Amino acid sequence: MKSTILLRMVIVLSIIAFSFSVKAQSDHSEVKENSEISSDRVYIKIEIMGLACPYCAFGMEKELKEVAGVDKVDIELKTGLAYISTPKELEPNRFSLEKIITDSGFSVGKIEYQDKPFEKLSR
Amino acid sequence: MRVLDNVKFKQILAIIWILCAQVTWAQGPPITTDTPVMLGLAGNGIRTFGKFIIKEKVKVYVHPIGIPYNVTSKFQIGAIVPFKVIDPNDGATSKGFSDIIFFSKHQIYKKDGKAKTFRILVNYKHIFPTGNIKSIPRLGSGLHKNYLGFILGKVTSKIGIYGDFGYNLVEGPASDQFSYNFSVGIPLLPQQYPQKQINTFLEFNGNYVFKPEIHTLFISPGITFIPGRRVLFETGFQYPILQKNIIDNKTKFTILLGTRFLLN
Repeated sequence: MKSTILLRMVIVLSIIAFSFSVKAQSDHSEVKENSEISSDRVYIKIEIMGLACPYCAFGMEKELKEVAGVDKVDIELKTGLAYISTPKELEPNRFSLEKIITDSGFSVGKIEYQDKPFEKLSR
Repeated sequence: MRVLDNVKFKQILAIIWILCAQVTWAQGPPITTDTPVMLGLAGNGIRTFGKFIIKEKVKVYVHPIGIPYNVTSKFQIGAIVPFKVIDPNDGATSKGFSDIIFFSKHQIYKKDGKAKTFRILVNYKHIFPTGNIKSIPRLGSGLHKNYLGFILGKVTSKIGIYGDFGYNLVEGPASDQFSYNFSVGIPLLPQQYPQKQINTFLEFNGNYVFKPEIHTLFISPGITFIPGRRVLFETGFQYPILQKNIIDNKTKFTILLGTRFLLN
């Protein structure tokens, strides 16, 4: 009888401990995400027409990483969208981005700029 | 004329129907059909694979290494260097480099849309008779060949359809040839980037020789596995469904096993 109660207590405590651990991890990732949002950066969403295969996405990622100030490129294949950000003083103009896309063999759709990260459509 | 028997034809139709009926997502490049000029592996990588051809009287192993280079986003050049081993059932084995192929692809039409593209290219190849013709069996054809054809590719986020066809002009008294390939690609995993991908392909590979009239057609199912950004593994199986006017030494089947990887 005692062992059954003990076992139940262990299970309940484990569940509580696991919940706290998950919550802590979630809070940590929120803090981390918030720390990545910076007011002195510009966020750019580029619609790349014709981007439909994983290797095209890899090639495009490499090209966009060459833009000054870009350290990360997010590409959504389903929507053909690429997301980049740069420090404001290195903001690439529309013409230079269009040239990179067309030189890579694709066509350019909309290019949007804003000072906070874009909400990604596929999430 | 030897035609497909009814049962085999129904089996092939059933496979096509099953593959086409699935909800599909985009995929990587096909295995035995040529592809349009694209960024990524098609442009700055190396492709190599082993091809085991099992015939009635001989086993052939071909190991080509293909090196494409994108001069511009619309123009690609490259070379294919094949190493060949020919092992007759009742004779000595020949091995060495076979005929080297130089190729160029020029994009003449492109229509891009949201997560989809359709491209048409002109494809020119020159085959140099570099393979040894003094060996028995011969490793090379001993003939210059000029190939002129077209490549078509429609890639969307739901399906990939590829085709290529062209005329092979052979010097001397040897007959010209017409070759054609068709491929449908279907991924087995949801489409995201970057992520591991497994893609299935159903391809058809045909070749028609004018004089004497010889027509071969193979059905070629295959799988590609993409574990990361820079590398792809592929395997395929070719089974003959038509070998018109080939009486002696018919092909039983062919197995392909290969990889493609990026240099930079």
